[in-house]
Amino acid sequence: MADLQDDTSELDGLPDPYKPVAASGAAPLERAHAILAAHPVADGYNGLPCALRNLHWYDLELGESAVDTDVPRLREGHVGVLFWSLHLPEGVAGDRIVAGTLEQLDLVNTVVRAHPQGLRLVCTAGQATDARNCGRIAVLPGPAAAAALGDSLGILRALHTLGLCVLTLSGVSWAGEDGLTRFGEEVLREMNRLGVLADLSGASADTARRALAVSRAPVLFTRSAAGTLRPHPANLPDDLLAGLGAAKGLCMVPLTPEQTGPSVQDVADHLDHVREVAGPDCVGLSGTYDAGTAHPQDLGDSSCYPHLIAELLHRGWSEPDIALLTWGNVQRVLRTADFTARATQQRREPSTAKIADVDG
Amino acid sequence: MTSLEEARELLAEFPVVDGHNDLPWALRKQVRYDLDARDIAVHQNAHLHTDIPRLREGGVGAQYWSVYVRSDLPDAVPATLEQIDCVRQLLARYPADLAPALTAADIETARGEGRIASLMGAEGGHSIGCSLGTLRGLYGLGVRYMTLTHNDNNPWADSATDEPGVGGLSAFGREVVREMNRLGMLVDLSHVAATTMRDAMDATSAPVIFSHSSSRAVCDHPRNIPDDVLERLPGNGGVAMVTFVPKFVLQAAVDWTLAADENMRAHGLHHLDTTAEAMKVHRAFEERNPRPVATVSTVADHLDHMREVAGIDHLGIGGDYDGTAFTPDGLGDVSGYPNLIAELLDRGWSKPDLAKLTWQNAVRVLGAAEDVARDLQATRGPSNATIESLDG
Repeated sequence: MADLQDDTSELDGLPDPYKPVAASGAAPLERAHAILAAHPVADGYNGLPCALRNLHWYDLELGESAVDTDVPRLREGHVGVLFWSLHLPEGVAGDRIVAGTLEQLDLVNTVVRAHPQGLRLVCTAGQATDARNCGRIAVLPGPAAAAALGDSLGILRALHTLGLCVLTLSGVSWAGEDGLTRFGEEVLREMNRLGVLADLSGASADTARRALAVSRAPVLFTRSAAGTLRPHPANLPDDLLAGLGAAKGLCMVPLTPEQTGPSVQDVADHLDHVREVAGPDCVGLSGTYDAGTAHPQDLGDSSCYPHLIAELLHRGWSEPDIALLTWGNVQRVLRTADFTARATQQRREPSTAKIADVDG
Repeated sequence: MTSLEEARELLAEFPVVDGHNDLPWALRKQVRYDLDARDIAVHQNAHLHTDIPRLREGGVGAQYWSVYVRSDLPDAVPATLEQIDCVRQLLARYPADLAPALTAADIETARGEGRIASLMGAEGGHSIGCSLGTLRGLYGLGVRYMTLTHNDNNPWADSATDEPGVGGLSAFGREVVREMNRLGMLVDLSHVAATTMRDAMDATSAPVIFSHSSSRAVCDHPRNIPDDVLERLPGNGGVAMVTFVPKFVLQAAVDWTLAADENMRAHGLHHLDTTAEAMKVHRAFEERNPRPVATVSTVADHLDHMREVAGIDHLGIGGDYDGTAFTPDGLGDVSGYPNLIAELLDRGWSKPDLAKLTWQNAVRVLGAAEDVARDLQATRGPSNATIESLDG
């Protein structure tokens, strides 16, 4: 463990020199496929677990018309990593939320195990790369709603043991409109210790700012676009995007008309803006398929990513920036979270804080 | 050599696999999981029945830690996760003494390393909230047995200490048993009604356990096992783990408890009331009627009978320490097991028989559940049944 250090900036400063993979003279769509084949999409939000809850007799391996996500279309879209949301349907409340989240985790496990040729459950950057090298699509369980913790760090640890990788910090007393309470900060520190990423899409501005300050690991916005282009509660104002860039977090732009607009060009406008304000290291993609929303034209299901990448190439995005957008940034965030967890575990014991003691 | 020395020598080779210990609940209630406040690496005689020095003294080689939570509160699933986290924290804290164990092979390995194999058991079907997905979650977290009920009925199984509900196991209850078989989680029939015991033994394809129950023929209490059920254990391959709780094992203590409860009700109080006023009434009763005391010999009587009915291959030990206020003389805490073994030696139990009682039967039954699970998983996927779909 002698090589473990808190300062990760050195690692960030040593990227592999980028080797172009697409012929520069080819048509944008052809180049998009070539780039994505080398740098697949790490998709920040997919609602399949919830969609499959009430669906019987499905087969994701051969293709499933009842949903927007299945293995053939994921392969066609060059998706390499998929965050599977554990958010629960409306109406699940109170003491059912913890049990409901256990059931979602169980469903993720069961579905992934039923599709061993296509999917593999992972929770670290190394496992994601390994899955990719084996030709499998890596599935990361998360985000779950903060309410899934039942206000208990013991439950956080139990859910993490079962695979939980991301937690959305909103909708609870300790991460509400007024920002993180002291217990909320302790939750975030324990998440850092475990390697559970914070998702701040839908969190209040105060919670988001406090989380950016407290978290030692990069944070995610799994479903947020640019607020200056399109006002929406989950979209981010420029100052927050700049703050996210400074903290090397990740804003994953959703493919939904409400947040980004109805066309591929609208989505590309948001990606342009986020890249400009937060930086090319801090922008990512979030398909938001099977999460109950509509999608922009030509981006109707998880096979459509090449269209979007072709549009970005058309706009002059460089290959290295696209590689960061699709794959590299998520890899960096996952790797840094692992690193932070290992470093923190040397220093901190599992937290025994109770909400009643800390928040009174 | 005295029989106590002989007992210790025997336990050094074949230590006790104990079926039930409520240390996690005691830590939750006493110090809300502040493990610094109850460092079990040192003696905690003033607060607990259980700590590592006394487990060592008692010759314990494997322990099922109960992740019990109350069955009369709505937050059973979240609370169970916290109990599981508590056990995991204990394992992380005392790695030289406690070895995480999930399989029979892990238990054997821990014995070879001189560590105490640590397993988990959930005490009551309320811990899964009528959901097979949650059951699989508990298995994933390391839970290796589930008692089908605690003191209250749940929607799919009847408890020994409640009014008849579904009359044993409901259709969903039988599906819970089958899913436990498929996972390799032992079905525990302590606490359940005799009707539930019989239904579960009909439904299961793996051996069952009674993690902490004694014989109803010796002492007539609903928490104990009737002879007709004990008689089925050889066919099933299961293990009945005798418990020490005086109010279950000593007839005089059963009668005394009934009279004490009646006295409370006569004063207009609930029999489990622990308020100051209620305790005053209770103490006055105890002064007039001294509490009968169980002994090592009381427990040995149960084992003698259970052995006669079920056979030596189907016995084990489940002390219920830190889950009971009173204990028999000579079995006051987890250091007491050698006294029980010495008593059985004096009664003529052979060493090979005692090795089965303390170690071999309990290890065998978990291994058998694993074998059944492997077979079932080849032909059966995870069950998606819901209580609504089966019980209507």
